[in-house]
Amino acid sequence: MRRASLQRNLEAVVLGTRHKLSIDLGEKDDDFALVLYRITKPLACDSVELRRLMAEFRNSGIADAAIERLSADSRSARLQSARILGALRMPQAVTWLAPLLESKDRAVADAAARALGRIGGAQSARVLLMAIQRAGLRRTLIGELARAAPDLFLEVTLGEPQRPGLKPAAALAAGLRRRQTAVGPLVALLMHGTTRERVTSCRALGWIGSSAAVPAVVAATEDPEWRVRVAAAKALRLLHSGQAILVLERLSAERNAHVRQASAAALRRLIREVKVIELTWL
Amino acid sequence: MRPRTREIGWGAGPWRPVLATGEKKPSDQSGQKRPGTKGPAFHDMISRLAVLESAPVFFTMPESVLRALARRLRRIRVPNGEVVVCQGEPGDTIFFIEQGRCRVVVDKPPGAVTVSVLAEGDFVGEGACLLSRPQQASVYAQSECTLLALDRQSLFAVLGGRHHAVIDELRRLAEQRFSRFADSSVQATWGMLLKEATVVGVYSPKGGSGGTCISLNLVGALAQRYPGEVLLLDLDFPYSHSALLAGLMPTSCLARTGSVPQDAFEEVLLSAVLYHVRGPMILPGALRPEEADEVTPELITRAIAVLRKTFRYIVVDLGVTITDSTLALFDLTQHIVVVAAPELSAVKSAADAIEILTQLGAPHDRLTVVLNNRSLKPAVTRQAVERMLKREVDVEVAFDGARPEQAAVDGVILSVADARSEVTRGCLRLAGLLEAKHGQVELPARSLVAELHPA
Repeated sequence: MRRASLQRNLEAVVLGTRHKLSIDLGEKDDDFALVLYRITKPLACDSVELRRLMAEFRNSGIADAAIERLSADSRSARLQSARILGALRMPQAVTWLAPLLESKDRAVADAAARALGRIGGAQSARVLLMAIQRAGLRRTLIGELARAAPDLFLEVTLGEPQRPGLKPAAALAAGLRRRQTAVGPLVALLMHGTTRERVTSCRALGWIGSSAAVPAVVAATEDPEWRVRVAAAKALRLLHSGQAILVLERLSAERNAHVRQASAAALRRLIREVKVIELTWL
Repeated sequence: MRPRTREIGWGAGPWRPVLATGEKKPSDQSGQKRPGTKGPAFHDMISRLAVLESAPVFFTMPESVLRALARRLRRIRVPNGEVVVCQGEPGDTIFFIEQGRCRVVVDKPPGAVTVSVLAEGDFVGEGACLLSRPQQASVYAQSECTLLALDRQSLFAVLGGRHHAVIDELRRLAEQRFSRFADSSVQATWGMLLKEATVVGVYSPKGGSGGTCISLNLVGALAQRYPGEVLLLDLDFPYSHSALLAGLMPTSCLARTGSVPQDAFEEVLLSAVLYHVRGPMILPGALRPEEADEVTPELITRAIAVLRKTFRYIVVDLGVTITDSTLALFDLTQHIVVVAAPELSAVKSAADAIEILTQLGAPHDRLTVVLNNRSLKPAVTRQAVERMLKREVDVEVAFDGARPEQAAVDGVILSVADARSEVTRGCLRLAGLLEAKHGQVELPARSLVAELHPA
């Protein structure tokens, strides 16, 4: 019942029929953040509705209170505040969400990462990259980096000298974004990177699925490092290239068991997918 | 937005906000910088501002806003041939070209069409960023490029509040470019015209006689017959406002093509042409008064040679003054239209101009006099005008009330929007005269053009 009332209030503000918002953030449950998230999810970041809502949050002091509560003792308060700021997509909150990424409480750190991903922009992406540098390749951080990074941000990160661990993260994020602009930098990383970078760039090229990446991935199947060959086999399945079956058959007879296993699995799945495509055409 | 408590604040922590409770402080990070707060160096800031100041729409913003935007720009170096933006993908960033040139290519089976070449001071990616559409075209670096990237979040963070009108202007520009690129790609697939264009100079020796109005509406009238094949070259210096009068926002101009190398000149020149949805095309001579000096007779000759191959009619608004550039154009024109208002000083100036043109060798039948009535009861009658000019008035435009002024305010071309307007009638008569003298054989491409523009 309370949630329905909250939703009605927020919707009235979004529609402009109500101009006063009185919400007590001190309450323990997380209903408010959830309802707010649902309401703001379909709104574009420059829409009148979202601007109206943000203005009301600023005027009523809820936005300030949410930022203050990022440093509260209570874990649920920090979680709720991070979610509220993420739902509102307030670029001003990026600086205050950044320290939460270092939190030992994984739920709080993930909530901050999700909020930064929703806010987006170069500043959020930079903060997430720094968090990855500290915390390593964490799934949530990479996923949110892919969501937050603006155009050519990851491509530039891949092309410039970085601290160890950042390029694999950027490669994975670029793969998750599935942008053609990342193919060039990823191919360059596959050719000149470290083992870990070659592995991640192979996987990312597979996810992007660009035919321009096929020669580089095929060349990676002859890499001296077996991990790269495994990644190349997995990528070839996703690239659906004409050469893929021949190359995977060759890899199925490999000396390394991991490569044999991966390429056989990839070949099986690829043949199954090709059959499905043929049946669809028929 | 900063919290009021003392626990959180830049002053309290070593390098970033320190959480008061529940979180362990970082051990020793005094050497590290606060994320995202290191501003660009002084000279870097100057160059960023220079790029923003030369960009369309952005140059109208106050300096404080430009500085805020400049601080948020990311500099990206793109090697020659690399893709900047890929057609069909979503986008959230506007890329300003600081150095180099970019080629805008639309993939349109069976081939790819270069619809524009953008140079320093221009920007790309605004369509996807502001209209939330997939990228309309792919953009490739044509040389080693330095771009300045402004992402959507930064743009709205700076302009979202009090400067939302600028975002609306940017959206209009994005829409305008969207339709221009779409039409250019369609036209390019048809192939270019086979015959060279007729160049018509419109000269009004006295300011306020309506020379710009007549030339703009003449282009509109001709474009009704040949949509997309009639160009207005605006050389009415120092203020070339034809594009704005037609409701278009110019992003480049003839003056800026002067420094472009010969091999890229044609593409850069054609990409500066603005396309009006009703058919006319406009090439501004200069966007700023100081750029007028860069339009030399050599540049005009080069430009006309290129434009002649592309269009059917080129109408040149020559403005008021006779300069070296104007004289160079008189040599290139096949027809000259002299516009005079029925006022004593205007008619006297027109008589002098006709005499000069006759001395320069303009044939009598290639000279047309237009009498443009700017008031209900003109001070000088038509007979008196003809007596003073020692020749007949070929076309008389009757008084049109407040329509021309209102059209200028609304950004509308009367000859394509209002069939009852006197200006429209006069310009249609003038277009008929030009067609009678310079009309060309109908080309098969025209039926395709008519399909695109049924109006």
